[in-house]
Amino acid sequence: MDRKLLHTPEGVRDLYGRECSDRQKITSLINKKMKTYGFDCIDTPTFEFFDVFSKEISNNSARELYKFFDKDGQTMVLRPDFTPSVARCVSKYFMENDEPVRFCYNGKTFLNTHNLQGKLKENTEIGAELMNDGSIYADAEMIALLVESLTSTGLEDFQISIGDADYYNGICEEAGVDAETESEIREQMTNRNTFAAELVMAENNIPEKYINLIKSVSTCIGDASILDNAGSLVSNERSKKAINRLKELYKVLCSYGIEEFISFDLGMLSKFNYYTGVMFHAYTYGVGDAIAKGGRYDNLLGRFGKNAPAIGFMINLDDLMTALYRQKVKIKADKACNIIEFNDDNFDKCLSAAQELRAEGQRVVLKKRTD
Amino acid sequence: MKKDDRYLTFALGKGRLVNSTMELLEKCGIRCEEVTDKSTRKLIFTNEELKLKFFLAKGPDVPTYVELGAADIGIVGKDTIMEENRSVYEVLDLGFGKCRMCVCGPESARDLLNHHEMIRVASKYPNIARDYFYNRKNQTVDIIKLNGSVELGPIVNLSDVIVDIVETGSTLKENGLTVLEEICPLSARVIVNQVSMQMESARIRSLIEDMKGNL
Repeated sequence: MDRKLLHTPEGVRDLYGRECSDRQKITSLINKKMKTYGFDCIDTPTFEFFDVFSKEISNNSARELYKFFDKDGQTMVLRPDFTPSVARCVSKYFMENDEPVRFCYNGKTFLNTHNLQGKLKENTEIGAELMNDGSIYADAEMIALLVESLTSTGLEDFQISIGDADYYNGICEEAGVDAETESEIREQMTNRNTFAAELVMAENNIPEKYINLIKSVSTCIGDASILDNAGSLVSNERSKKAINRLKELYKVLCSYGIEEFISFDLGMLSKFNYYTGVMFHAYTYGVGDAIAKGGRYDNLLGRFGKNAPAIGFMINLDDLMTALYRQKVKIKADKACNIIEFNDDNFDKCLSAAQELRAEGQRVVLKKRTD
Repeated sequence: MKKDDRYLTFALGKGRLVNSTMELLEKCGIRCEEVTDKSTRKLIFTNEELKLKFFLAKGPDVPTYVELGAADIGIVGKDTIMEENRSVYEVLDLGFGKCRMCVCGPESARDLLNHHEMIRVASKYPNIARDYFYNRKNQTVDIIKLNGSVELGPIVNLSDVIVDIVETGSTLKENGLTVLEEICPLSARVIVNQVSMQMESARIRSLIEDMKGNL
């Protein structure tokens, strides 16, 4: 026996038995919910050309892609994320179509992350994308779908944080911050490191008033009441528009009756380059990162030749399962197996009994009696 | 799990920061004497009244505990945060534990840093050293990871220079070494887990404001 072959490489794992069936149950509950909102299935290739993924992500994450060459020497990438693939697919097959397109998917994604940090390199994602619809109703539909998907799994104690980078962008524009300084400030602000951001701003002679305003963005976390306050602090169009859009969005979310799950976080800035408007994360106890992430990416389809707005989200199934187990949420188990023992003489009789039960949907194992 | 009976957990970097941290927390009305009690064998300390838990961990592990959500809040030196590069929120500069990250070596090595020739650098902080030489100085270097007493490097000719924390510079001086270049200033920081920041936003923010007010 070769012992080296018995364990899996770091960052990937086997799934079997109860755990595997739990994951299937949860996946199908979420898929069912997505179907009720009219979403159709989509499945894209596991690997694609490097360029499909390279533009949207920072250089740092580009290093984390699994890359290899095909026989023609072209660089291939194992998908780190479904969204660019779905965008490419929709741009190609729905080029002439201006009607909203709804797709949902589930599958594995791959990121070559560092060893020994407790992170998986192969993750299972369940997601949905709504394309060709730039309205506030599309934003609300996706957030409501995320809430309903999560509640359908039995998870109760979670929270969706909604932000819009345009609020921050508007303030930077108003303060006359150039692009290079802005990206330096953003880098610090994504980590909520306001004092480092302050140093950068002071070095670049940004007026005191704006330094304080930009710093305050990172602590704009709370329920819908923070929007009024945040709105009153700014005078530029872009930020005001962002706030108004969030307020309208909140109204629609109230119509869905899901306001108890909603909070706002204007300091939510993404290192991902493709988000253009509203962004949202789902948080719950038991895991160290958001279990679901999503947002609007109105420029992404344009890269593939179709100018159309789009919004999507993905749930990280591995993190969701950890949260469900840690919060002791009950997941319905499969029915127990009936065991029918047979010997060479009565096999036909046992078999027909088993087939009858199987036809009723029961689980039956035929077992040879050993005397 | 109901929100009110959830504990907030602090991970504190072992060593010189602990006492200053506990003093600061005491000023904020948070007491937990056991933490600074050297004789105890306990690993985790609880303040039942405020629903807080504390544990001590090796510095470099603090960002790991916080990133993975095993601790909500961490207090650790900036050097560790830079070296580990985890996704955590860095929300407050505590101002104590001040020191500098420096390139040090014998005076004779100063010239080596002015050219782009390959030199050997020993450090407990390979990531910080790599970032400094590759991205800021554009100098190709051979980095050797050491786990302590880094000052030995240039003395026994293991390396040309070292990258290390300098507090007063007296260890350097005693060994005939000097600060050649300063990389950045350092101090103790408060880091927060991303999920905790959202789920326990009010509690954590008022804690941070308290700490800020008592600095």
